[in-house]
Amino acid sequence: MDPNEVEFLGEKQLVSIVPNFNFDMIHLISGSIGPFRAGLPVKIPIWLAINLKQQHKCRIIGQEWMDVEDLKNIKEEEKKSKVFTKMPSNHYMDEVHMLLGAASDDIPNADEIRTAVKDIWDIRMSKLRTSINAFLKSEGTHAKLDHLTAMEINNVRPLLPHALDQMVRLQQIGQASATADSREESQNMSSI
Amino acid sequence: MFGRRGVELVKELDQSLDSIPPFNEELITEILEEMQRLYNENRIDVNTRPDDHETYLSIKVRHAVLKRDKRCILAYLYNRLRRIRQMRWEFGSILPPEITVSLSKPEVQWFDSYSKCLATYMKSIGDNHGLNLTSDLAPPKSLFIEVKCIADYGKFEFGDGESVQLKKNTYHLLPRSECEQLVRQDGCVLLSPRSLTVNCKRHCERKDQETKRESLSACRSL
Amino acid sequence: MEEVDEVVEENAEFLEESDEDGGVTAQSVLQDIENAWLNEKFAPEILPHQSDAVECMLQQISHMEDNMKSLGKGSMKSLIHQMEINRIRFIISSYLRCRLEKIEQYAMHILTEEAQRGREDGYLSSDELRFAKDYLSSIELLFRTLALQHMPNVLQKFEIETMTVKPNIHAHVFLRANKRITGIIVPGTVDEEVDFEEGSQHIVQYSAVADLVKNGDIQLI
Repeated sequence: MDPNEVEFLGEKQLVSIVPNFNFDMIHLISGSIGPFRAGLPVKIPIWLAINLKQQHKCRIIGQEWMDVEDLKNIKEEEKKSKVFTKMPSNHYMDEVHMLLGAASDDIPNADEIRTAVKDIWDIRMSKLRTSINAFLKSEGTHAKLDHLTAMEINNVRPLLPHALDQMVRLQQIGQASATADSREESQNMSSI
Repeated sequence: MFGRRGVELVKELDQSLDSIPPFNEELITEILEEMQRLYNENRIDVNTRPDDHETYLSIKVRHAVLKRDKRCILAYLYNRLRRIRQMRWEFGSILPPEITVSLSKPEVQWFDSYSKCLATYMKSIGDNHGLNLTSDLAPPKSLFIEVKCIADYGKFEFGDGESVQLKKNTYHLLPRSECEQLVRQDGCVLLSPRSLTVNCKRHCERKDQETKRESLSACRSL
Repeated sequence: MEEVDEVVEENAEFLEESDEDGGVTAQSVLQDIENAWLNEKFAPEILPHQSDAVECMLQQISHMEDNMKSLGKGSMKSLIHQMEINRIRFIISSYLRCRLEKIEQYAMHILTEEAQRGREDGYLSSDELRFAKDYLSSIELLFRTLALQHMPNVLQKFEIETMTVKPNIHAHVFLRANKRITGIIVPGTVDEEVDFEEGSQHIVQYSAVADLVKNGDIQLI
């Protein structure tokens, strides 16, 4: 899947904004939003938040977890843990990308948040590579992938499923030739 | 060598992955002639010396070559057809002349029939509501995108009657729907974050900054 | 502006009412289409069509667009509705495109399978089925005109059996379990039986979970 499409799914997540206008509730197909009262925070989908921000109609507050201290703790946890820890959002990477990209002037400590998230991503990706390697060597057929987020899964999509597909093919060929061998053997036996 | 031409045919396509090379009628005719020749030889052998073991083996070999030749020709035709199909999605229902010259007449006819069959299907979507599947190829981003003019385009009028002067090396925040044709006509390059990478070679330092609405604060980098 | 609100509200009310009767809301139909889109994207084979949901959603969109005509084109409200419509239209077209690509790629296989299914439980919509048939016969015509008719008699056949390309249903897929599922058989050198907890994520051969994807117990991701 194109990373743009993962981001597209992430854009559905809600984020708090502070509008600078007043407007009644709007009934979208995906759910109602508003009412908008100037100066009062309201939660709306990210795709809309970014657009209103572009038109200077709101300030984006960002997600609660976009806090440098919290993120540093998550990073330490991730480092300590053997398994993947639960991320604050299934789209943490793309949300940071989108929201900080559009509103780094609104969200405090944008650069530090970016760095912390990038570190977390790097730790997790390296953990992922190591575990994939071990998994393939163990000739496993299925794996549990709890707490892996959408972008992370998409990142290994070009590699992991295909590697496993090839292993299945090799196994099948192995099995087929094994049965062929034994059939040949029994034929030889009977001819003796 | 038997079957060599068939492989040549397939290789020829394989070497030009992104384009459609001219239809190789000559080579196809040669292969078809080879097939006819092999077939005749087999027929004669079957009729004259059906019980001879060596003859039996040559018949087998010829038959294998015949099947392989058939397979190569059909693989060639099929893979060309898939590329022609792609043209329908990229260029619409009218093929650019530089592509038509590379096609055989039946291929041009196939394009038309594919085009028609796709149009019929698209019209039928949602209880004949109709939906053009050849647009909306990428997820929509903002309604506005930032573009940079790479040529003096002059006055550009929007659907709603508003207009903007597009001068070379100026930047504008324009409605996405209106920009597509400008970009296709090489009047503008997209500067929205998604296309930055695509156009990064042409992306140069900003000067003469002039925006229609507010300049896009969302040129993102991470 | 008021008018649009009223119509949309009416719509929403209507849908909410029907929801109380165990029916569906526009919001839930949209979610269904999004799920179907992702499943279709990641499943190697073509999945049962969802034309009812697609039809319903396209109708919603067209109502909305009709009503928006009364709004000023540049008004904030109409822009917001337009943005949402663009998003929904992208999902629907990407979903249908994905199906069309599979139909083209596996035309012979899909048509053979489809012929064995009843009219009601066909995987293709009637329009997709017509497309598949037209597409396949256009290929046969091209093959005949350019090649087959010039070949020796015995080789002129358009051999469905040897030319059929089948999807690899043993391909591995990522998934999330929508509920607790027990006793899934994962094929391997030794078949292994596994349980999925609700909300857990896995990678496994598609063939092991194909039916569960089709009945909605599993979402491909």
